[in-house]
Amino acid sequence: PAPPALLPYVPCVPPGALLGKVTATTFALERPRCIFDRHADASDAVWLVVAFANASDTFRNPPSRADVPLYEGLSTTLSYMTLETAVATYACSTPSSAVLRVGGDTTCGCQGGQDPCNGPLTSPGPYRVKFLVMGCHGPVAETSWSDPILLQK
Amino acid sequence: MAKSDDGIHILQGLLVFGNVVIGMCGIALTAECIFFVSDPHGLYYLLKDTENDDIYAAAWIGIFVGFALLALSILGIIGVIKSNRTLLLVYIILMLITYAFEMASCITAATQRDFLTPNLFLKQMLERYNESETDNNDKWMTDGVTKTWNNLMLQNHCCGVRGPSDWQKYTSTFRINHSDADYPWPHNCCVMDARGKPVNLDGCKLGVSGYYNSNGCYDAISGPMNTHAWGVAWFGFAILCWTFCVLLGTMFYWSRVEY
Repeated sequence: PAPPALLPYVPCVPPGALLGKVTATTFALERPRCIFDRHADASDAVWLVVAFANASDTFRNPPSRADVPLYEGLSTTLSYMTLETAVATYACSTPSSAVLRVGGDTTCGCQGGQDPCNGPLTSPGPYRVKFLVMGCHGPVAETSWSDPILLQK
Repeated sequence: MAKSDDGIHILQGLLVFGNVVIGMCGIALTAECIFFVSDPHGLYYLLKDTENDDIYAAAWIGIFVGFALLALSILGIIGVIKSNRTLLLVYIILMLITYAFEMASCITAATQRDFLTPNLFLKQMLERYNESETDNNDKWMTDGVTKTWNNLMLQNHCCGVRGPSDWQKYTSTFRINHSDADYPWPHNCCVMDARGKPVNLDGCKLGVSGYYNSNGCYDAISGPMNTHAWGVAWFGFAILCWTFCVLLGTMFYWSRVEY
């Protein structure tokens, strides 16, 4: 299968004055808009890959949805994927909503199921993130890695 | 002789006038101190908890000193008009005792103000504030400090001592009991609607301006406290200055009165 297309978008923490954009267990990201429309079908899903900054180079895109590393395994795999959303949410036509919040879901992680969990981060990091578009046959497109994001101690 | 008679009459007039002013100031002092003791801003608990509540003791003394000044001024007026040495002697002695008490109250109020720093309240807030999630059943167990802070934050639209970042920068009892993801700062820091619920909880957690209170509560605490301390201290010192002059005049008058 062809390697995923590299999109020239760098995820980043929103530059505006948001006091809670980086806390001890969460951080916010600017919501990408108009980035994925050219490369993705309507049935694809956009995932957010979160990895420790020193493990981002060794991260390999999972070949299918079943191989996606989950939040619960962060301490062993040093990376996980979360925030699985339809491509349409990031389309050009949608009104640009504020931000994405990583780590804001405190209710997940207990069921231990296969659902992607957006739980709070237990270590201050630093982390790097990228967006990965997954289709039926595997990764379709990806963005560049972000700069390292360090959480509050 | 006519001239020294005139002088005595003038002195009598001045002393009566001085005592009338003392009487009125006594009433004013009592009223002012009652106002402060009634704690209209609900801050007493914060001070009592840090054992820095001496400005309230100073206000209590002020209440009684005010009454004493009123009573003594009446005694003084009677003593001066009747030229009675005994009455004047009693007046001087009691006035000196009242003077000492008022001096103590003023000095206490003036110096205690220096203890009220942001760090004092910050330390207390971080150690004691613990917003309880259980709604109404355990309210009687909620710490007085927590209740005071909740009232402060809701009524003054403020958060923390210097700002909501206090909850992020420092460890606290609140942080131990509430996850950072759900409560980067207490929910009472959020802008509330008419029902007492946050208008936009997600916006509040992210720190979007307009959905959370971004300024600190220190001004809301120190403002009333300073007014309280300065009011008791400086009005008291002003009364003491006036009373000193009247006392001197009364002692001089007492020495001139014949048996």
